[in-house]
Amino acid sequence: MVDAKKARETREPVVGENVVRVDGAAKVTGGARYVDDIPPMPGELHGATVRSRVPRGILRAIAFDPSFDWSDVTVVTAKDVPDNVVQLIVDDQPVLAAERINHMYEPVVLLACSDKAKLARAYAAVTLDIEPLPAVFDMEESLAAETVIWGEANVQNRYLITKGAADTDESEAAIDVAIAACEVVVRGSYSTHHQEQLYIEPNGMIAWWDEAGAHATGSLQCPFYVHKAFKRCFHLEPEQIHITQAVTGGGFGGKEEYPSLIALHAALLAKKSGRPVRIIYDRVEDIEATTKRHPSRSWIESGCDRDGTLRALKMRVMMDAGAYVTLSPVVLSRGVLHAGGCYRWADVRIEGIGVATNTPPNGAFRGFGAPQTIWAIERHLDAVARQLGLDAGELKVRNMLVEGDTTSTSQTLRGSVGGTECVERAFEASDYLARRRAGPSVLGRKARGLGCAVFMHGGGFTGSGERMLKGKVAVDLLAGGRLEIRSGSTDIGQGTETVFAQIAADAAGIPFEHVSVAVPSTTHVPDSGPTVASRTVMVVGAIVERAAKELAARVEASRRPGETFAAAGDRLLAKEGPQSALVQYEPPAWVNWDDKKYKGDAYPVYAWMCDVAEVEVDLDTFEVKVLNFWSAADVGKAIHPLMCKGQLEGGSLQAIGWALSEEVVWKAGAIVNPRMTNYIIPTALDAPPFETFLVEAPYEHGPSGGAKGIGELPMDGGAPAVAAAVEHATGLIINHLPLTPERLFAAWLNSEAAQ
Amino acid sequence: MSLADLSRYEFARPASLDAACRLLSDREKKGARTVLLAGGTDFMVQVSQGGAAEGPLPLVLDVSRIKELACVSFDGTTLRIGAGVSYLELQRDPVVREYAPLVARMTQDIGGPTIQGRGTLGGNLATASPAADGVAAIAAYDPVIEVKSSRGTRKIPIAVLQTGYKQTSRAADEVIVAVEFRAPAHGSAWCWRKVGTRLAQAISKVAFAGVAEVHDGRVTRVGFAMASVAATTALLPNTRELVRLTPLAQLTAAAVDAAVASDVSPQDDVRSTRDYRMHTAKAVVRGFLRDLGAPV
Ligand SMILES: Cc1cc2nc3c(=O)[nH]c(=O)nc-3n(C[C@H](O)[C@H](O)[C@H](O)COP(=O)(O)OP(=O)(O)OC[C@H]3O[C@@H](n4cnc5c(N)ncnc54)[C@H](O)[C@@H]3O)c2cc1C
Repeated sequence: MVDAKKARETREPVVGENVVRVDGAAKVTGGARYVDDIPPMPGELHGATVRSRVPRGILRAIAFDPSFDWSDVTVVTAKDVPDNVVQLIVDDQPVLAAERINHMYEPVVLLACSDKAKLARAYAAVTLDIEPLPAVFDMEESLAAETVIWGEANVQNRYLITKGAADTDESEAAIDVAIAACEVVVRGSYSTHHQEQLYIEPNGMIAWWDEAGAHATGSLQCPFYVHKAFKRCFHLEPEQIHITQAVTGGGFGGKEEYPSLIALHAALLAKKSGRPVRIIYDRVEDIEATTKRHPSRSWIESGCDRDGTLRALKMRVMMDAGAYVTLSPVVLSRGVLHAGGCYRWADVRIEGIGVATNTPPNGAFRGFGAPQTIWAIERHLDAVARQLGLDAGELKVRNMLVEGDTTSTSQTLRGSVGGTECVERAFEASDYLARRRAGPSVLGRKARGLGCAVFMHGGGFTGSGERMLKGKVAVDLLAGGRLEIRSGSTDIGQGTETVFAQIAADAAGIPFEHVSVAVPSTTHVPDSGPTVASRTVMVVGAIVERAAKELAARVEASRRPGETFAAAGDRLLAKEGPQSALVQYEPPAWVNWDDKKYKGDAYPVYAWMCDVAEVEVDLDTFEVKVLNFWSAADVGKAIHPLMCKGQLEGGSLQAIGWALSEEVVWKAGAIVNPRMTNYIIPTALDAPPFETFLVEAPYEHGPSGGAKGIGELPMDGGAPAVAAAVEHATGLIINHLPLTPERLFAAWLNSEAAQ
Repeated sequence: MSLADLSRYEFARPASLDAACRLLSDREKKGARTVLLAGGTDFMVQVSQGGAAEGPLPLVLDVSRIKELACVSFDGTTLRIGAGVSYLELQRDPVVREYAPLVARMTQDIGGPTIQGRGTLGGNLATASPAADGVAAIAAYDPVIEVKSSRGTRKIPIAVLQTGYKQTSRAADEVIVAVEFRAPAHGSAWCWRKVGTRLAQAISKVAFAGVAEVHDGRVTRVGFAMASVAATTALLPNTRELVRLTPLAQLTAAAVDAAVASDVSPQDDVRSTRDYRMHTAKAVVRGFLRDLGAPV
């Protein structure tokens, strides 16, 4: 007989191994059921949303063509909404517009019918009478507040970070003095544009009602956000709401807050019709109506020594929130917290302003405000280097934060600071310094150049967020010594289920195959907090580890000599009934954050990364091809190295797309290119070969030996690295995204004219 | 039309070209609408972008299996390409690769592999988008387009086929059968340059096709065509004339640019700008002429 204890001890650990993804087979064989693959429920109706199609105005009337047969069409308007608010941070967004129209794609009327073709005709038979009002699309115009479209003066949020000399009531005057005292002063302005998440699976939801209450299932990241939205809108008790994630085909933040709205719409139609209702957005509707990355504008003035030692930073960041607040305060917050980059500044004043415009609300998108400000600070450091005659890479290395240094929020970095090693690895692999010094290589009408970006990204919720959130996870003991993890964290393609199972298997000392992850449904999983903010592995994974350990210890304690873990577990279940461990997250005790002064430990730890991009620019057509992309990332601990690299490379490609080709084109508040044919994400052919190195500077509170959050990190660096490489190749300095051939051409014309 | 209507379409697949022409003419006489279907790669987009359908839907007449549309042949002078041959077949066809390498090369830049496997020149010509890559590629060879109806067969020169933005002189009852052109001297210079929005699944911002027979520093036969710079595929008559009349060594960048500028009338749209297109049109033509030895 095998010695059970020994068998458990000799079990191969799975952390650090590229185990086969638990969701892989179902996805590649087509077995996985995304929301629109779920077979129709009896009597199910299709739902559709009639939108304002006017960027701002007053809804006067809704006309339903009397010659149309409405007998089998369910119609819902604002009048049918019990509490007409989408619950999030501020109660400004209605579930259906009642009177005020604040953007082009505001939902006004919901329709449902069992016949899809008839539904399309019903849609055409609704006419909205909207009296137009002047609309505001531009951030600066909004700030000027000549036309007030939100609150008292269009400003939704402001943040101020001060440090050193600027840490006074007169912070602006103080920072001006500090900068003026510097040997070299550099000024610049930088901007970024919208970005659409473009997950493969568009948004969709099915909702129905029964004696248990309201149900919704669909494509989503945060089941408990939908749960809260239902509680508010329908005034239900928590146990009357049942929100379940369907297999989800990507999210990138785009399925963080918006699914609440679609689920509410489906549930409103379901309630009125008494039938299940399915709403599936097509690509056009998804691009038009759902959230996008916030556009930004930044102004930077900085002072440094002639030798390149950075001293003082003054920065103003403005973000375009769109028509409603949604998550914008949090996005802007992460933006300002990352605005100083990964650099040592003695004196800092960073101001953030979120303004409203009459465009659909912008929302969560991988990086969550940081890619915008890191674009600005990285491009600014490139400008400083240019002015000093230094290489930008050398300047960045010289000023990088190391252990013991303080960030812009005066947070002292306490360890797990792997930035320097990241830079060394990426520079060495790309031969960055020598190739930069050698200058661009020009062959015929093609020029090649190299550029780098160095950055860090905070893991988990900002400041005191995790302390307030109190994320929970449960692990149950099943028959046969198996464990099941119950958590509200969702696998949306990033591999959460697999990584959670790895963490739990090693924590409990059982085989990987003996761990399963429950479908996230609010009815039977605890609220682990949303699947956002690079927190799933680092924060939720840490409590998965603790819960699995705790439960395994319980089995272990009851185990008789010679008994297997499975047998001990079964005996425990028989004797004492269901066994589970519920663990709540506690941030490290030393995390100290002052929300008023915006000072302290903004994040318990940061992941680090250095990107080097090599581009080839066609000097005739200004097409930019990324030839190579080297990067090194400090991830703390790579639990699944292959998926970890997959996240880093996928995020970098998303950043390259944002930099080079993706652009939402607007005309009077409407999106002109809401299709995959003209919203240009990179294809496999546009993707460079990636060479990615994993650096592991463990975070003492991370799971499985120190994992940090890396989901958002790679989105931060691709754009500035590519822009620096284009500058190296061509001399064209671009501070405003995107670097489309048309914009490069225009910049080249300007530079020719200037000469 | 919307995709929800797809299941309501009537569908016919005639066994021969004559049967297809008969069916078309019968329906035409009754005033009943018919749409031809080859690879369906434009048709499906038209269906999904249409709104809710009112009235009867057109009959879908599938021409993709008609053998007269499926052949590629070369008689020593003239290359004939069936309108129903897919891009993927063109890419692999030894005759096309040998005598019209530009066409074979162009097919690699059409959409992606799945679109290449279905899309056809017949569909590209009938849709007549100014961005059509296939039309631009064959137009550089000065082809005639053979169309057939129950009334007879016509061979329409490309310049006559194109009548306006997405419009052709093909009558509604005419099936495009094949494209024919005199192949350039074996081994002649050619150029295909697509400047798209990305490297695959891209609509051209500018695409340029050029063929040239060069003798003693002079271009004796030239064909140029360009996509996305005018309401129809641009045939660049002034640029062709300049190149035919001027020894390569005497061509200047300024003269070429002026000729190209007079031949195209690009517009701003969602994909690109007028100025960028104008610049790029000149640059790609000069690029080809440089390869031929002109100091431009
Ligand atoms: C994702 C995608 C990518 C694409 N990329 C490109 C690209 O890179 N470059 C490009 O040029 N195009 C591109 N297209 C457009 C399309 O693939 C081409 O225009 C193709 O040549 C159409 O051929 P088809 O056989 O599929 O036409 P279909 O869709 O079958 O037909 C198109 C039209 O032509 C008519 N028709 C078809 N055959 C005949 C015939 N024999 N006689 C008369 N009328 C006929 C049909 O009635 C219909 O009106 C793309 C399309 C998609 C969906």
